Amino acid sequence: MNQKEPKYILEMHHISKSFGGVNALQDVSLKCSPGNVHALVGENGAGKSTLIKILSGALKADVGEIIFKGNNHASFSTREALNQGISVIYQELSLVLQMTVAENIFLGREPRNAFGLIDKVRLRSEAQDLLEQLGMKMDLDVEVGDLSVAYQQMIEIAKALSKNADLIVMDEPSAILAGSELEQLFKIIQSLIKGGVSIIYISHRLEEVFQIADVVSVLKDGQLVDTKPIKELDRSQLVKMMVGRSLDEVFPVSTQKPEDIILEAKDISTDTILNRVSLNIRKGEIVGLAGMVGSGRTELARALFGADMLASGSITLKGKKILLNKPSDAIKKKISLVPEDRKQQGLFIELPIKNNITMSILRNISLWGFLNWKKETKIVEQARKKHSITMVSGNQEIQYLSGGNQQKVVLAKWLQTQPEVIIMDEPTRGVDVGAKFEIYQLMRLLNKAGIAILMISSELIEILGMSDRILVMKEGSIVAELQPSETSEEQIIEYATTK
Amino acid sequence: MSDMESSYTVIQENTRFKFREFITSYGVYLALVLLLIVAALITPNLFEKETLAVMFRQCAQLGIIAIGQTMVMLVAGLDLSVGGVIVITSVVVAEVSNGKDEMIPLAILTALIIGMIVGLVNGLLITKRRVPPLVATLVMLFLIQGTQQAFTRGVPGGFVPKAMGIVNQSWGFISIPLMVWIGLNIVFIVILNGTSYGRRIYATGSNPEAARLTGIPVNLIKISVYVLASGLAVISGVILTGYVGYVDRFIATGFDLDSIAAAVVGGTAFFGGRGGLVGTIAGVLIIQILSTMVVLIGLEIETQFIIKGIVILAAVSLYGLARKKQ
Repeated sequence: MNQKEPKYILEMHHISKSFGGVNALQDVSLKCSPGNVHALVGENGAGKSTLIKILSGALKADVGEIIFKGNNHASFSTREALNQGISVIYQELSLVLQMTVAENIFLGREPRNAFGLIDKVRLRSEAQDLLEQLGMKMDLDVEVGDLSVAYQQMIEIAKALSKNADLIVMDEPSAILAGSELEQLFKIIQSLIKGGVSIIYISHRLEEVFQIADVVSVLKDGQLVDTKPIKELDRSQLVKMMVGRSLDEVFPVSTQKPEDIILEAKDISTDTILNRVSLNIRKGEIVGLAGMVGSGRTELARALFGADMLASGSITLKGKKILLNKPSDAIKKKISLVPEDRKQQGLFIELPIKNNITMSILRNISLWGFLNWKKETKIVEQARKKHSITMVSGNQEIQYLSGGNQQKVVLAKWLQTQPEVIIMDEPTRGVDVGAKFEIYQLMRLLNKAGIAILMISSELIEILGMSDRILVMKEGSIVAELQPSETSEEQIIEYATTK
Repeated sequence: MSDMESSYTVIQENTRFKFREFITSYGVYLALVLLLIVAALITPNLFEKETLAVMFRQCAQLGIIAIGQTMVMLVAGLDLSVGGVIVITSVVVAEVSNGKDEMIPLAILTALIIGMIVGLVNGLLITKRRVPPLVATLVMLFLIQGTQQAFTRGVPGGFVPKAMGIVNQSWGFISIPLMVWIGLNIVFIVILNGTSYGRRIYATGSNPEAARLTGIPVNLIKISVYVLASGLAVISGVILTGYVGYVDRFIATGFDLDSIAAAVVGGTAFFGGRGGLVGTIAGVLIIQILSTMVVLIGLEIETQFIIKGIVILAAVSLYGLARKKQ
């Protein structure tokens, strides 16, 4: 690093980007100092990933300029961004699982010998050097697919270093790491910034941000709320910046007293990950299910819905043992699942809104298999009003709705079956703050009607704000049952991660 | 300044969005109208009664298979075995009836049962064994051809009953095959758009995982659609056999691929969940009008393939362009 170093390694000025009329980013400016960890926080859909994609050249900004290391760039191509020294480590890691550690680090840039063939000796020794630099010990000849996600992430970091990256962007690295692995990552980050590398660290876990960041920028609804040194903020201030209101305003207060147990699982296990899980849910209760990605939360939801088969254990509904071989069995028993991934598991993206809403109750709107369109139109209209879905007509293809409205349609579809138990897997993922608030209110409303809700969420604020009771999962088992009034994010993370 | 710019972008997006909607929804009908205008200019004799009669008969033969093919494609599948089913229909009808009129019902019933077994096996391979539709139905096609040749030792026996010539009955350009085609289209358009079964077909093709989680028996729906497609191929086979009047092992050459082409030109997507029978009717018409025009102009018959290729390419790339932005 020379002396004429500019004050900022990266300056993004007045970046705007819209998709089909929806503003994803509006006039966002971001400045990063060298050798700093700059945290970028914000709720889902706040525009964090759009901003990063623009920085990495994967997307082009409509308006704005990027100055990197003093050079002005109207827009980067991904290759240019890489050559300039910007590396992005996405949540979905971009490794070739069938290749070895060393091969992955130098993929596409392998050292060559005099014959133009790959110089395996140099490949291994250079990879070794890089890993040592990061303080990592690893077998270079292991196939990457055989390693844990944490190790894979470290290989990504080594890969970024091998490209002489000056700026490394980490997109929610902690979402897939357990406690000790996170410690290791933090150590690596410390050594990176000592070497003069800058880090943009994306996360929505506030503890981490306070632990590792020097500066924090908050995005909300595509706009920059503020950039501040972390020392000038406390937790509740940061939350307020992210959500736009203080917590007790976001989460409607529960007025419901939970009643009798409606659904009970005893020692259920599956062939995949679930290991003797027991839990119960009462009428009118919201049970929050927290845990790391991969802890078995989603598998538990699927097992309770009959989407995955049980290897052992039993499920009891209103005191009667039930057998769930397939989702339609669960639906008949008035159990609903709002799945985790709206696009992959929830929506029929090419089909009109009305087909999406009534798909779960075709039997109710047809006679001898023939559809009663009048009845359908009425149901769709009722759903539109009840959930304030913004749409032109029921014949509109659902892909043209915003994420929030799509989620409301999925919820509407599942409420058509008059469920008594609803399992919601990440009910507010990829939804803007306004829609989020409406979904919370809807959940309370359902509660009042005596419906039991099992809510899986990665957002601990949501878990703490909405649950009557919190269950924490780790490695396929429930490891703790907590009362939201007597616990904290730290405690939940501790239960979810410590060995 | 930046406000103006962003509102400008919004307007641009909207018009482009409407152009896309228009192409995906009405492009094929626009193409059909344009084609008719061109035909009126360069081959006016296309509109003579005799030519129309022949063309509509061909439309019907292809169109009946294309109904099944469209439904299979709606569940994100493909059926390459329909041509094979037509050939066994022809062989079975001749073998079972051996030229006797009173045996026709039994002959057709036998063909229908065999055809539907083929569809059932297709469906089971694709759902229970997870064989890709292309491979499963291609394998079935080989099996059908092989069995049929082993059984007949290359020389199909039996005779086609005289009474089956009834399919040649026509009034002006309206023939029995044309009426069957129209009738079947009405039935299946109602099924696809007006019944819960139709809704489930679209859902299965659009997102099988979401369909399963919504309680739809995805495998059963897929199997049923393959059985229907084979059943429709049997109907088309009966009509063709009656028309030709003897057993021809090459009777259905090209029908499988042409039926796929008709569905694709008509706007049915390869990935399922999008498209429908009205588009396929237009697709069938476009393909047959072009083929007839090639004959009327006096071009080599091989030109048909080139033109077919160009038309499909144009259709697919236009749809692709229109659907690109999601």
